[in-house]
Amino acid sequence: MKLTELFAQKEFVITSEVGPVKGCVRSNGGPPPEFLQEALDIKDYVHAVNITDNQSAFMRLGPLAGSILLKQYGMDPIFQMTCRDRNRLALQSDLLSACSLGIDNVLCLTGDHMKLGDHKAAKQVFDIDSVQLLHIARGLNEGHDMVGHSLTKSTDLALGAAVNPNFDPLDLQLLKMEKKITAGAQFFQTQPVYDVKLYEDFARRTAGFGVPIMFGMVIIKSPKMAKFINANVTGITVPEWLIQEMESVPKEQYKAKATEITIRLLKDIAPLCQGIHFMPFGWSDIVPTVLAAIKP
Amino acid sequence: MIGTTKKPMEEILGALEGHRKVAVVGCDGCAKVCLTGGTDEVAAMAQDLKAQGKEVILEVTPERTCNVAKSDPVLKPVQDKLKEADAVLVLGCGGAVQITRHLTEVYGLTVPVKTGLDSVGHMDTLVPGTLALEQCQECGQCILNETGGICPVTKCAKGLLEGPCGGAENGKCEADTDRDCAWILIYNRMLALGEVDKLKRYMGPKDYSKAAKPRTLYIKEGRVSS
Repeated sequence: MKLTELFAQKEFVITSEVGPVKGCVRSNGGPPPEFLQEALDIKDYVHAVNITDNQSAFMRLGPLAGSILLKQYGMDPIFQMTCRDRNRLALQSDLLSACSLGIDNVLCLTGDHMKLGDHKAAKQVFDIDSVQLLHIARGLNEGHDMVGHSLTKSTDLALGAAVNPNFDPLDLQLLKMEKKITAGAQFFQTQPVYDVKLYEDFARRTAGFGVPIMFGMVIIKSPKMAKFINANVTGITVPEWLIQEMESVPKEQYKAKATEITIRLLKDIAPLCQGIHFMPFGWSDIVPTVLAAIKP
Repeated sequence: MIGTTKKPMEEILGALEGHRKVAVVGCDGCAKVCLTGGTDEVAAMAQDLKAQGKEVILEVTPERTCNVAKSDPVLKPVQDKLKEADAVLVLGCGGAVQITRHLTEVYGLTVPVKTGLDSVGHMDTLVPGTLALEQCQECGQCILNETGGICPVTKCAKGLLEGPCGGAENGKCEADTDRDCAWILIYNRMLALGEVDKLKRYMGPKDYSKAAKPRTLYIKEGRVSS
C-alpha cells in the first residue's frame, strides 16, 4: 500500500528499516534471509519497511531484490534509491522495474559519499540528485520519462524524501526540503534527532509545508554506539545527556534504558509528526513496547 | 592551470626501462607553477636520471608545452636530439605529454614519449608556491552566475545542483570534515548578496553531453563538438 494513502486516512504511520547483507540470500525454499528477520519480528507493528541502498556506500545486496523479498514475506517495502551508483537511465529504469514488481513506495535520496564506504576507489555517479530524482519520478507517475517520451504505462509510486532537522543552517535545509516538495516529495522521513527543542522548532517551521513528516528514530543501544555516531556519522548528534544516562546503568540494563529514553523522546515528539520511522539496528523487539507506551 | 604532481622516481624509471638516452621536456607554464616541470625541475630530473645511469641528451622547457605555438619553436630545432633519444620524458600535464608526442610524429619520429607527472585537475593558485585549489570541472555549462560565484559541480563532493545533502556538520563536508560544505558557502554568499531566493529555483539535471569526451574546440567559431 502507498504510504500516501495511509497519511490521507490520517493514519499515524510507523515504518522500520533493514539493511541488506553483503551476500546472496538465495534460500531455495529455506527459512527467510536473516537480515529480514528483524523486520519480520515487528511485521504486525509497522506499515512498511525501508530497504536501504548500499547504505553508507558499502556494497551489499540491492534494495530492489530486498524489496521483493520483503513483499514475499508479506511486508510493504519502501524502496530506497540513491543517486550515487546509477545514472539517470538506470534510475528511471529501476523505478519502472520497482513499480512493475509491485513496489508502491520509493524513498529518493542523494546517497552517502563513496569515501564513507568500502569501495573508495569507485567512480561516483551523482548524475542527478535527490530533488531531480523526485522530479523525474513524478514524471514517470505522470506517464513520461525525463526527456518527455511517453511511457506505455505510468508508474504509480508514492514518493518519499529525507530531511535532516539537525542541519545548520536550518534555513538552507528547509529551502532544499521545499524544493523536494515542489519536485514531487509526498512524505518525509527525518534523520534522527535527540533534541526535543530542536525538533519542535523544525516541526513549527515545516507545519505549513503540507507534507507528512515521519520522525526518524535510531535507538541508541549503548554509550559506545552513541560515541561512534558522534565521531563517524556526520549530520547526527547524540547529546551528552543521553550518553550519560546510558552510562549510568550496567550493560545488561542498556536495553531497558534505551526503551525508556526512546519512549520519553517519542512521547514529546509524536504529537509533532505524522509518523515514526524506526531504525532499530537489531533491537526491533523494543518497538512494540515503545509503540504501546506512546499510544495516545 | 593544470595541477601536476611528480610521479615516484621508481615509476618513472620503470617507464624508462630499456631506454638509456633520454630527452627531458619540461613546461614553464602550469608545471612551473606547481614546481614539477619548470626549468629547475627539468635540471633536477636530469641529475636524478644521470645518477641512475641514464644519458640525458636534451633538456628543454617550452613556455607552454601544451600549446604547439610555444612548444614547436622549441622542439623543432632540436629534433635531431629527439631522434637520437631512446625515450622522451615530459614533465608536464597530460596535454603537454600528448602535444610532445604529436610533434614527434609531425617530425616523422617514432620515439616513446613518457610522462613524469600525474595531472590532478584544473587548479587555481591561492597561495603562490604553496596551495592551489580545484575550482572548475570544465563542464561546458557554467552555473557560477546562479551560485554566487562558487561552483558546486566542483566544490560539492557530490556535485549537487539543487542544494546541500544532509551530511554536513559544523559547516563541513561529510566526505572531508576539513573542507567547508560548498552549499553552505554558496548559501552564505547568496545571503550576503541578498539573492537567496534564486537558490529556490529548480536547476534541473545537468546536460552532460556538453562534457562528453573528447571535446574539440573550434577557436575561431567559438564552437565545441564532441
